[in-house]
Amino acid sequence: MNTTNTIKTRNPFWAGTQEAIPLLGGYIPVAISFGLVSVQSGFSVLETVLISTLVYAGASQFLFVAMIAAGAPLWLVAIMTMLINARHLVYAPNIAIYLPPSKWWPWLMHGLTDQIFALAHTRMPHMAEESRLGWYTGAALLAWMSWIFGTALGAVAGEELTTRWPLLGEVMPFALPALFLVLLAPRFSSRLWTLTLIVTITLAFAFKLSGYPNAAIPMAAVCGAIVYHLMKGVLGQGSKHDG
Amino acid sequence: MDNSLWITLILCAVATLMMRMLPLIWMQRHLARRKAAQAVEDMPTWLSVFAPAMIAAMFGVSLIPSDPAALDSWVATAVGCIATVVVWFFTRSLGWPVFIGVLSYGVVFVLV
Repeated sequence: MNTTNTIKTRNPFWAGTQEAIPLLGGYIPVAISFGLVSVQSGFSVLETVLISTLVYAGASQFLFVAMIAAGAPLWLVAIMTMLINARHLVYAPNIAIYLPPSKWWPWLMHGLTDQIFALAHTRMPHMAEESRLGWYTGAALLAWMSWIFGTALGAVAGEELTTRWPLLGEVMPFALPALFLVLLAPRFSSRLWTLTLIVTITLAFAFKLSGYPNAAIPMAAVCGAIVYHLMKGVLGQGSKHDG
Repeated sequence: MDNSLWITLILCAVATLMMRMLPLIWMQRHLARRKAAQAVEDMPTWLSVFAPAMIAAMFGVSLIPSDPAALDSWVATAVGCIATVVVWFFTRSLGWPVFIGVLSYGVVFVLV
């Protein structure tokens, strides 16, 4: 991407913030929905905002309020939340190699959502090592703040917002697939990676359509990784993007 | 919320943070050991393949509109994706392709 050198000259924090702006299109409408659902499930505005601030994981937050509203046992709520978030286990190790030494990194992992991981994994290798802490902090902080802001907005005025501007909630979330597509595009540079990615995308799509939204990401990714290893001998090594 | 609910919330929050934080600490130690042994600082191969596969899976999942039965959403999704790729091809940037992709999606969504 042509932003490689500009991050060296710009303030990395602001560069990260700027590059995370596309995420807001996906975050804010979903956060508004969460705020609305949470208040309707009986949580107060403050409790709703605290859930978004502390847990900060979309799908598991929806599950958390839905299960509690349904009267599910609390131990089951905790276990289900952890199971849904289990995919996060593989994110940090994948970006660890790009992180310069700093005592802040473990705490900054609170902001390592699906989208921030995808953004960081793609962008960090292309920027100067000394810029990475500032860049990540800027990107993760903007995403976190937008999630909290969207939640508060949804909790306070979600019903009115979705009634007045229903189209906004329909259109803005397309920012997420568009962002993922841009992050993936440079990888379609070898037959091996093209095959792996197409299989993974198709499987994730099929799993979700079949009614397995939470299993779709880890299952499809595992299948994609298996396809990569099986086809490596047939199609040869991938591009420079390997590893 | 009563006390037990607060405890559950804190437990979920801490568990989620640990799932994001502990693998980083593990990998940083793994890399430090490799460095100390003067080996190449690399991550396990399966992990390096798994990361792009996760992003691809997120893309696949995010393609499905909120109402999969509505044809206009699918047409808008296809047009939005094509517009995103075309703009990326010419600009090789991050912001413009996403912006034009969302704009195209929105225009088709409204028109169809």
